[in-house]
This record gives sequence, C-alpha cells and structure tokens, in this order.
Amino acid sequence: MDENRPLPLREVELLVELVRESGMGEIRVRQGETEISVRARPEGSDTPRVASGTQGVPELVEPERSPEMDGLHAVRSPVVGTFYRAPAPGEDAYVEIGDTVSAGQILCVVEAMKLMNEIVADVSGEVVEILAENAAGVEYDQPLFYLRPDEQ
Amino acid sequence: MIGKVLVANRGEIALRIIRACRELGVRSVAVYSTADRDSLHHELADESVCIGPPPALSSYLNVPAIISAAELTGADAVHPGYGFLAENARFAEICERVGLKFVGPDSSTIARMGDKAEAREAAAEAGVPVTPGSRGHCESAEKVKRVGAEVGYPLVIKASAGGGGKGMRVVEAETEVEAAYLSASREARANFGDGSVYVEKYLERLRHVEVQVLADSHGETVTFPERDCSIQRRYQKLIEESPAPGLPGDVREGLMAASADLIGSLGYEGAGTVEFVYADGEFYFIEMNTRLQVEHPVTEMISGVDIVAEQLKVVSGERLEIPEDALCADGHAIEFRINAEDPGRNFLPQAGLVEVYNPPGGPGVRVDSHLYAGYMVPPHYDSLLAKLIVHARDREASIRRGLRALDEFAVSGMETTLPLHLAVLEDEEFRRGGVTTQFLADRELESEGGLLRLVQHFS
Repeated sequence: MDENRPLPLREVELLVELVRESGMGEIRVRQGETEISVRARPEGSDTPRVASGTQGVPELVEPERSPEMDGLHAVRSPVVGTFYRAPAPGEDAYVEIGDTVSAGQILCVVEAMKLMNEIVADVSGEVVEILAENAAGVEYDQPLFYLRPDEQ
Repeated sequence: MIGKVLVANRGEIALRIIRACRELGVRSVAVYSTADRDSLHHELADESVCIGPPPALSSYLNVPAIISAAELTGADAVHPGYGFLAENARFAEICERVGLKFVGPDSSTIARMGDKAEAREAAAEAGVPVTPGSRGHCESAEKVKRVGAEVGYPLVIKASAGGGGKGMRVVEAETEVEAAYLSASREARANFGDGSVYVEKYLERLRHVEVQVLADSHGETVTFPERDCSIQRRYQKLIEESPAPGLPGDVREGLMAASADLIGSLGYEGAGTVEFVYADGEFYFIEMNTRLQVEHPVTEMISGVDIVAEQLKVVSGERLEIPEDALCADGHAIEFRINAEDPGRNFLPQAGLVEVYNPPGGPGVRVDSHLYAGYMVPPHYDSLLAKLIVHARDREASIRRGLRALDEFAVSGMETTLPLHLAVLEDEEFRRGGVTTQFLADRELESEGGLLRLVQHFS
C-alpha cells in the first residue's frame, strides 16, 4: 500500500456497517494494491462493554492465550535436570522443528544425577516448537516441546 | 560466607530461612511442588525450581530432584529446615558426596542420634542422666522383663527409629510385656521400616524441657536457657515457652551443662536440641534432634540471637559470636502453633481457601507464617499455618500479651487451633505454671458462648 495515500477510513466505516447489518462473518474488498478485510467477532467472545453509569458489572479478564488452546500438545519434563537435544555432544539432535514424530519416539534426554532420562512423545504429530535451550536446566512439569497431534 | 543456599522445605520454615539468607546477603533457591505454585517461599526466594507433583515422596522428599535443583542453580549449601529430609542421614551423606554443604551436623552424627537407643548410650557415656532402662536395643520380650525386674514397673517400650508416639507402649506389669513388645515392634517396623525397640521407666507426671544448642567447627559450644514444651496433644507440641516456669536455677544450670557435655562428646556442629523429661526435681535425657526446631523462635526472642543466621555462619566455617548476656533469658517468650485443625471435631485437619488473614501486631509480637488472604491451604502437607510468638518482661505479662494477640489474630475459611490456645491461657493451672504433658489429656474442651473452655475431668 502506498504510504502517502490517506487511509480509506470512510470505506472501512461503510464496510463495518455492512458486516453488522448483513450478519456476515467477513467482508474483504480489494482495489488496486489496497485490501480491506472486516471480520465480525465470533458469538460469545464479545468483550463485555460496561455501560457508563451502571454499577456492579464485573469486567471479565480474557484468559491468556496458550498454545494448548490452539490444539497444540505440550511434552513436559518429568524430572528436574539438564535438557539435551542429542544423545551425545556432536551428534544429531533427536528431532528438529517440522519433524513428524510417532508416539513413543525419543524427543530429548533430561539428565538428572548422571542418569539420562529419555523423554518420548506421548502422541504422534509434528514438532512445532522446541521450548528449552540445549544443555539448559529444566524443572519438573516445564514444557519442552509443542507437538501438533495428527488428525485422528 | 557461602554464596547460595537451596532451601529444601516449604511453608513458614522455608520463609524463615529465606529471610535469614536475605539479611546475610546470601542468595536463596526455593524448591516447590506443583501444589505450592502460589506459595510465598516460591515467590520470595531469589530463584525457584519446581521439583515434583504434590505428594511429598515425589517432591520434598525426592532426593534426586533436590540435588539436581541444587546443581542446576549452583547452590553451595542445602538447608533442610525441619521435617522432610532434616534428619535423613542418607540425604546428608549424598550432599557431602556431591560437594554440597548440608546445614546441620555430619551424616554419621545424624545417624547416631537418629537411633534413640544409641543416643541414650551416647548420653550415658557423656555422663548425662538418662531415664533408667535398657542399655541399647531390646531384642526380645525377655530382655524387657529383665529391665522391669531391675527398675520396676510401669515401663514404656519405644521405637528406636521412632518419634511422635508411634511404636510406643506403656506396660503396667510383667504379664503385659509379651503383647506390648510384639505390638510396639510391629508398629515401629510399619512406620519406620525398623522394628527395633528399647525400654525405659515410665514417668507419668513429667514436664518436657529441652535445651537449644549451637556449635561451630572451631570447638565453640553454646547452650541456651531451656524451653518448656509440656503442652502437647498426642505427643505433638502445641505451646512452648522459655524459660520453664518455676524451674530452680540449679536445675537450669544442670540442663545446660549436661547438654554442653553431650554435644562436646559428639564433636557436634550446627544447631540442635537436647530433649529431657523433668519430674520430681530430676531430669533425664530422652533424645536429641539434630536440626532446627519449630519452636526455635522462643529462644531467639529471649536471647536476641538469630539461630538460622548462626547456622549459616557455622556451615560457612565461621566462628559463633554469641554475646555472654544472650545466654541469660531476657524476659519470657511463649509460642503458639496455629494449626489448620478443628479443635471442636477431634482436631480434624482442614484445607482450603484462606478468606481473611489478619495477623496480630504491636509490641513483643512475632508471627512466622506463609499465609495470605486468598492462599489455598493444600491438603498434602502438615497442618502448621502460623507460629505466634509473644515476648514480654515476665511470664505474667507474656500471657496477657498472648491473650491480646490471639484475640487479634483473624483467620477465616477454616477452623484453627486459635480458640484452643485462648482456652489454655485462661486455665488456672497453666497460669500457675509447671504443668505436665498430661495437661490436655486431663481436660475436656467445652464450647461456651462460641468460645472454647478447658474443663478438667476428675476421675
């Protein structure tokens, strides 16, 4: 979009009206390089509006978004220890982001008191995030990986 | 001074240790279970590590997790507090092996004094009076009978690895020995994994008195004036005070000297408590606790010494520096244990949300507690919510201060032992001082206009 051109606020306003009246979920228009998309809020997720002058309407705190809410599965550390991504220094990591793993497959080791605890995937799916640094300390219950579980 | 201490405990005692660390400029590491995510010790420490799920066996007693947490955070020392791993010789030994300083005596001293029969032997060897009874363990009912013939009945059979009244049986006559021996031994094995027992003369009307000790690695030993912990319920202390009311000066000196002899003979290092029974003007050694105790603040109030700070100095290899005048009681102090238990329903443990928390304040009042309004008391651990300690120029004034502070103390959301403490302070015999450990067993709790009252039963 050309930075020198003023924002088409009037058009946006009209589109908002249109979305509200039509009950449509989303309207997207494009003109040249400008694209405007107006999306209605899904039912029930409205932030409650506190009308002025009324009392006692508690303000709802929106829950923090966690990756679990987006259908991701966290693999957590079962012990306190040191997180290692590979079986030994210099070797390849057990998994990388984007890998597909099957339930039971080793994801990493957590070393505690010279004992190597192999941490396995408890679901099959894709590795979307690795949350701990190699050789860093991890605590009990700390999320180590996010997996996107396979569709059933 | 050591640089960083891992506090292997929870609740009020973890806070107590973190506070001492902060005043000394020592960094602190809290460990916590997933049930204690909202706990103050986790919030107030410089660093914290989650070590396991709620059950203590998987968290606060989980040695590999605690040692790993110490290694990950680079702690130099581990303070075990009381309970959990505080008197676990194996844990102390593991700390020694991995180069972590354990705040307490060495593992062999913990093991030696942890065996009650052996501790009696150590005391007897140091010339400390012990209750008449067996030397060492009793391996058979026959041996118990021989002791009975020698010192007379009633006797009490006790678990060597025990405490808290478990594995303990009173025997009135020789005919009862066989059955009592078997059940005590069985209970000891079930509770402590060790069925060995010993036997001593049963003293019915006695007071529980104990001496706080501190010793450094340079051979310096300090003993404080005694605490009286006779207000107990099923062998659990509820109220402790110092000095013991009405105790003759020569008995006090005897207790302090005997305690110094014992820890001198052990080559002891750190804080500890030598426990005695006192009856008919005589005192006898019963056991030694090789750790910080719940009631240590009573001694701190009358001596002005910070016992936890001294522990940290000792473990750093520094010398104790206790002024002479700290060893004479300055006034009188009483501690009340506020437990999450319902005195009206046979001390049923309570858990749940603390709705209101308003601790007392004002002169001579100290509260050691991990509570705050909105805190959830988890059901997994012991019931101690707070310790209220009052200090005043004499016993009479500290009782009045205690009544005032207990009355101010507001905790709602669960029943507590607060009303029981008020009832004890109203009791005439308690006010006179010098009651025995039978004090609560001799009385019924009655509810009167919403308040509790103790009524002595006459049999």
